[in-house]
Amino acid sequence: MTRDRVKLVLNILALLLLFSILYFFDRYGSPYHVRILNNMGIFITLAVSYNLVNGYCGVLHLGPNAFIAIGAYTSSLLTMSPLEKQMNFIIEPLMWPLSVLQAPFSLSLICGGVAAALFAFLISFPVFRVRGDYLAIVTLGFGEVVRVLCNASQSVTNGPLGLKGLTPHTNLWWSWGIAVLTLILVVRLVNSSYGRAMKAIRDNEPAAMAMGVNPFRHLLMAFLISAFFCGVGGGLLAHLITTISPTLFTFFLTFNLLIIVVVGGLGSTTGAVLGAILFAWGGEALRVVESPMNLGFMTLPGIPGMRMVLFSVILMLVIIFMRRGIMGHREFSWDWILDKLQRKEAELKKP
Amino acid sequence: MTSTIFFQQLINAISLGSLYGLVAIGYTMVYGILRLINFAHGDLLMFAAYVAIYMGALTVFPWYLSFPAAILATGILGILLDRAAYRPLRDAPRISLLISAIGASFLMQNLALVIIGGVPKAFPRPEVFDRVITLFDVRIQVLAIYTPIITIILLLGLLFIVYRTKVGKAMRAASKDFETTRLMGINVNAVIAMTFFLGSTLAAAGGLMWAMRFPQVNPFMGVFPGLKAFIAAVVGGIGNIVGAVIGGFILGLGEILIVAFVPQLAQYRDAFAFVILILVLLFRPTGIMGEPITDKS
Amino acid sequence: MPAPFLSPERNMPMFLKIEKLVMQFGGLTAVDSFSLELQPGELVGLIGPNGAGKTTVFNMVTGTYKPSAGKIHWLDQDITGLPVHQITAKGLARTFQNVRLFAEMTVLENVMVSMHITLQASFWKAMLGLPHYRKEERRIRDEALEYLRELGLAHLADEKASSLAYGQQRRLEIARALATKPRLLLLDEPAAGMNPLETKDLAQLVREIRDKYGLTVLLIEHDMKFVMGLCERIKVLDHGITIAEGTPSEIQSNPHVIKAYLGEPKHA
Ligand SMILES: Nc1ncnc2c1ncn2[C@@H]1O[C@H](COP(=O)(O)OP(=O)(O)OP(=O)(O)O)[C@@H](O)[C@H]1O
Ligand SMILES: [Mg+2]
Repeated sequence: MTRDRVKLVLNILALLLLFSILYFFDRYGSPYHVRILNNMGIFITLAVSYNLVNGYCGVLHLGPNAFIAIGAYTSSLLTMSPLEKQMNFIIEPLMWPLSVLQAPFSLSLICGGVAAALFAFLISFPVFRVRGDYLAIVTLGFGEVVRVLCNASQSVTNGPLGLKGLTPHTNLWWSWGIAVLTLILVVRLVNSSYGRAMKAIRDNEPAAMAMGVNPFRHLLMAFLISAFFCGVGGGLLAHLITTISPTLFTFFLTFNLLIIVVVGGLGSTTGAVLGAILFAWGGEALRVVESPMNLGFMTLPGIPGMRMVLFSVILMLVIIFMRRGIMGHREFSWDWILDKLQRKEAELKKP
Repeated sequence: MTSTIFFQQLINAISLGSLYGLVAIGYTMVYGILRLINFAHGDLLMFAAYVAIYMGALTVFPWYLSFPAAILATGILGILLDRAAYRPLRDAPRISLLISAIGASFLMQNLALVIIGGVPKAFPRPEVFDRVITLFDVRIQVLAIYTPIITIILLLGLLFIVYRTKVGKAMRAASKDFETTRLMGINVNAVIAMTFFLGSTLAAAGGLMWAMRFPQVNPFMGVFPGLKAFIAAVVGGIGNIVGAVIGGFILGLGEILIVAFVPQLAQYRDAFAFVILILVLLFRPTGIMGEPITDKS
Repeated sequence: MPAPFLSPERNMPMFLKIEKLVMQFGGLTAVDSFSLELQPGELVGLIGPNGAGKTTVFNMVTGTYKPSAGKIHWLDQDITGLPVHQITAKGLARTFQNVRLFAEMTVLENVMVSMHITLQASFWKAMLGLPHYRKEERRIRDEALEYLRELGLAHLADEKASSLAYGQQRRLEIARALATKPRLLLLDEPAAGMNPLETKDLAQLVREIRDKYGLTVLLIEHDMKFVMGLCERIKVLDHGITIAEGTPSEIQSNPHVIKAYLGEPKHA
């Protein structure tokens, strides 16, 4: 069998394995486990696309919460029926075309992604005029502006009240289906010539330009693709928790994604996936420190904020002592494993 | 709008602006030396406010002892912050430094949440600052008048240190070039520590006045003043101390006067600063008083 | 400006023509009224003491700096102040004095980046892994390997660029510049940090690639033996001002040049 054949078979096997795990939990898993798995899928989508900008292009973009918010609102407004909308918008009615439009979930996700990418396009000019810390603060600013707008535009977002009672369309198939799709597309992109151009910008922008790479074009490309998938992820998130409001999309959300990609290893897609899985699982596991603990003879009160303390400490420890995160710039790939195996075999064959 | 209200708003704006300016100085000083947005700077305001509250409540110290103690403690925290979060990353890519700063900021906020709890605490305003006087028929809280005066005094003191003392000279040298400074026989880490100390004490002074102005102290109170002060520093020209104060005034005046003239915009108030930031970066990235942004390599 | 009636250049296409370039940094005039014309196939040297403004000339020609005054014409086009990547696309490539490789990428990938401008398939074809893209990717890989072979680096193709020895890194810079398919190659101190043997090989290499790819070469170098042996024509800068121009033997006996270098005997 050729290498390509082997890899194809391995990929199919991996997908089958994932399929059976999801099938098992879908049928027999407790709501608790299903929720964690859903979170994992969505976080993988978000982290992998966030990492495209932060890890591969090497610019610190702090506004994914804006894209997620836009995707979440767009997709929710499209799946709600006109009647549900009327019941939600009690202070001020929803403005016209939105009040009557309705779309199936799949289409609404795409619209969410497109809306987020459109917004990314609008802000790209000021964002990519600057670099480094300035870029970080400008994107953070846009994230904040979007949150303020969500709060203030009563007739579009229902303001601080948010949208309630969304249909819980998001299930394991959706969250993981999109995660796998995002993963495949992003991995293909970063391993392509376009991805190499992005990494070149990250490693040395003046040299990349001197080799004919147009930085704005490639940063924009990464930014738009990242925004699109963040928007789709936002739509999934909205239809998982079924209630959204501006408080959900603060800088805090960005901070969580930042932890995921830093711990996983900036610039490693495998790392982003690992980080997302650890975060979704660890975040739940650590809930115990925030809820009251019953020791039998006495009850310790839960400590709100403790999880975030731990997360911030982890983030700082990783960035200071393990700057490259778990994976560094390395990637898990079949090639890597097969190479290892072949070397082992060759060694064994030697007398 | 009557002229009395306008006058009142103007005083109000000047005092808010000077607060932004005071906090902005710390950002600008640290940025000048490390090329780092010290994200945790805003949280020093919160720290100072809590220290003052607990000093006042747990001891018999009057405010004129507890306030300086809080300022000193914050200065020391600033040094510790640099030591723990930034110094190990001196040779790391800037992106790592910034991430560490964001982590430090979240850590401070959530530690405060864990230790003190999320319920806002009232900040006891000392009577000296609490009086109301009547000036040209307008009733004004003295705090609003003291704030800009204190800011100007602190600014002059700082300028004296930076331009007239040996430490200041070393700080200016370090902001140009680490290597040369080191070759001149100066301990760069000590200079950086001094910078953090000075910037943090100013942030603490700002924090105390902020807490007197909005006497509800909570673990996240530093976030917005911090962000806005940073923007003020950029508007004024990052790295430039006087520019930071001017930027602070511009931001404070803009924020309050726009809302005073166009009340419909009140709910967008928190976005105003970012709009200014984006405009400045688009049309005059070096700020009002700044030199060109260069990458110190 | 009307050309002289019987100018010999009249019917020749203008290759590179630099007219009175000036570059000021604040109060400092780093380059003053620099002019240079290159004919296709020439091998020209640019020398001068440290801080003379040589790299600044390169930076202006390649678009990194916008000249304070003056014009750069390339193949009958005014390219003054165009963005760097557009100038590269027009056929001017450079290497850097302080090596600037893509440190986290492999040697092969470093060269493949330069071939990116030749890519025809758009990004969505890459994301979907369509055959058109895959064919292009194979072409880019093969050609990049070809350049590595040319520079004697093929056996290092999968090493990380930052793990190479210094002399190899300099060669990789040249391979990377060649892969943009330039007509004019600008080399900034290509021999810096090389031992005499490597330097000799380098001179041979520069000649070879010039002939093989039909290049014109403009190079900066402090190693006088290298420059004098390799270049057909030399221009000397000092404090931003052109103090001499001519064949190697003319330059070597030029009193201004000797005077300019006397302050820095280590380069003479
Ligand atoms: N970006 C810049 N900003 C300010 N001054 C600059 C800049 N780039 C170069 N200079 C100054 O311009 C002058 C010429 O520098 P340049 O690098 O062109 O010299 P060079 O001839 O290449 O010297 P070397 O042989 O040392 O490489 C120097 O005085 C340098 O300090
Ligand atoms: Mg040079």
